Amino acid sequence: MTAASMMAAPAEPLVSEGSAPVRIRGLSKTYRVGFFLNKQVKALQGLDLDIMSGQVYGLLGPNGAGKSTTIKLLMGLVRASQGQALLFGESPDRPHVRRQVGFLPENPSLYEYLTGREFVTLAGRIFGLSGHDLDQRVERVLGEVGMGRASDLQIRRYSKGMVQRTALAQALISGPRLLVLDEPTSGLDPLGRRQMRDIILAEREKGTTILFCTHIISDVEALCDRVAVLVGGRRVQEGSVQELVSARAPSVEMVVQGLPLEQLQSLGFVYEQAQQLDGRVMLRVPDADAHPLLQAIINRGGRINRVQPARFSLEDLFLEAMKQAGGQTVGGEIQ
Amino acid sequence: MGAFTAMAWNGFREARRNRVTVLVGAFALVLLFATTLVTEVTVSTFDRVVTDFGLGVMSLLLVFLSIYLSSGLLSREIERRTIFLMVSKPMSRSRFLLARLAGNMLTLGVLLVAMTLLFWLQLVLNLAPITQPQLAALWGLYLELFVLTSAGFLLSTFASQLVSALVTTGLYFAGHLSADIYNLGTRSKSELVAWICKATYYALPNLERLNFRPRATYVLPVAASELATATLFALGWGALFCVLATLVFERRDFR
Repeated sequence: MTAASMMAAPAEPLVSEGSAPVRIRGLSKTYRVGFFLNKQVKALQGLDLDIMSGQVYGLLGPNGAGKSTTIKLLMGLVRASQGQALLFGESPDRPHVRRQVGFLPENPSLYEYLTGREFVTLAGRIFGLSGHDLDQRVERVLGEVGMGRASDLQIRRYSKGMVQRTALAQALISGPRLLVLDEPTSGLDPLGRRQMRDIILAEREKGTTILFCTHIISDVEALCDRVAVLVGGRRVQEGSVQELVSARAPSVEMVVQGLPLEQLQSLGFVYEQAQQLDGRVMLRVPDADAHPLLQAIINRGGRINRVQPARFSLEDLFLEAMKQAGGQTVGGEIQ
Repeated sequence: MGAFTAMAWNGFREARRNRVTVLVGAFALVLLFATTLVTEVTVSTFDRVVTDFGLGVMSLLLVFLSIYLSSGLLSREIERRTIFLMVSKPMSRSRFLLARLAGNMLTLGVLLVAMTLLFWLQLVLNLAPITQPQLAALWGLYLELFVLTSAGFLLSTFASQLVSALVTTGLYFAGHLSADIYNLGTRSKSELVAWICKATYYALPNLERLNFRPRATYVLPVAASELATATLFALGWGALFCVLATLVFERRDFR
């Protein structure tokens, strides 16, 4: 625990209750930048987060939203300016806490003079593993990430995807209770992405809690139980994927032919989306407006090509959150 | 093998696979072999020339290597971001730091032993004696390497490799000249100059206290008490640099 985090007053008293793998209260990080360090960038502002045992939790946000900063604070790579982060109810700085955590950073960089096998073995030794058990684990995790055959080559000869896989292997070596993955699918080919997803799902089956951050929405939709959307260093949405998506009033999407967009706009309906296509108009309206709108279009001689319920996706949620943040999408607040 | 030993051993492995270390090691061995050629120009002072040249070569190359290795040790890890995977592991930052230092000292120690064996082989083949002052000079050299490595190490916690290397090289020269700097102050008429010289003398490690090479050349025995004092002196400076390095490193953000 840093001096800064001890002095800071968290949003509510922190109790080391239960075994919530991740508990964050009022966490903020301000970086000093500029030649004279006279500018401040608020990378993270007052973040509260709870990740319960066995959850796959996604941090979603555009570049510079504070996702990686949150992970770096949890892994002890940067020190908090305010607030607290606890892993399993204790400070992340304590070695016995970190022994239960596997970490894959964004664009991982490994010791290039080692082979993949040597690097994973080194990681295992730092976790306190040794002997036959270590050898067996190294063999197993390298196989799991698809690096069994290339593991005796020096890392300097690896492609980006191979480095990513080896870095994942070292994160899995200790059989962690919490897996923290920063952009785990970046740099991977489609097959590698699929394998990475399968590994995450397999870890979830084992009961491992997983926190990962990404800006790839399809990964979040496919893998996560819960999601937090960060924009400009602030949490703007949080909840289970199902909750967030189904909480919105249903919409209907329709494609209209025979009436120009201007005429449709004069009908007095509020459109969630209206787009002129080649000779057709695509409209999206709240479910309650769908029936009267259809009638109005038919009365004016328009033709309905297609009508279908529109599913509110995480992508919509993400774009809506960015809009709510006042257009500030990239980077923290600069003062 | 514990985490500390694994990291220290990895440091040794890193240096062993580094081309610069291998080249310097090979160059040193060739130079030591070449000592035989130097003896061709001497008539009656063979022992002195071999000792002076051999210890000089070892000192020069190992000091260069210690500055090169220590100045880039942490700054390279930070620049290449390999530090992310190490600092997040179940090992405190201070232990990581000391393990890296131990790896460096192991590398320098192994090279020193290899060079010493070759140096002694030269002496034995030429029927020259292995003397106590030579052993003292070798121990003094290792202590000097420890002080320089710790200093380079401290600098590499916050500065780039180039800056660390330049400042450590400056420290090496200033450390060997610190007695002269003190004398300069005592002879100066300006109080300010005298004060600056004195302050410089006390602020820098006097590396001449660890230099027993002239004594080895002229076979002047080194007292055990003198060696013990030199050892404590070097350990004190090394410990100071390590504590400062730990303080800086513990507070650093790795972005």
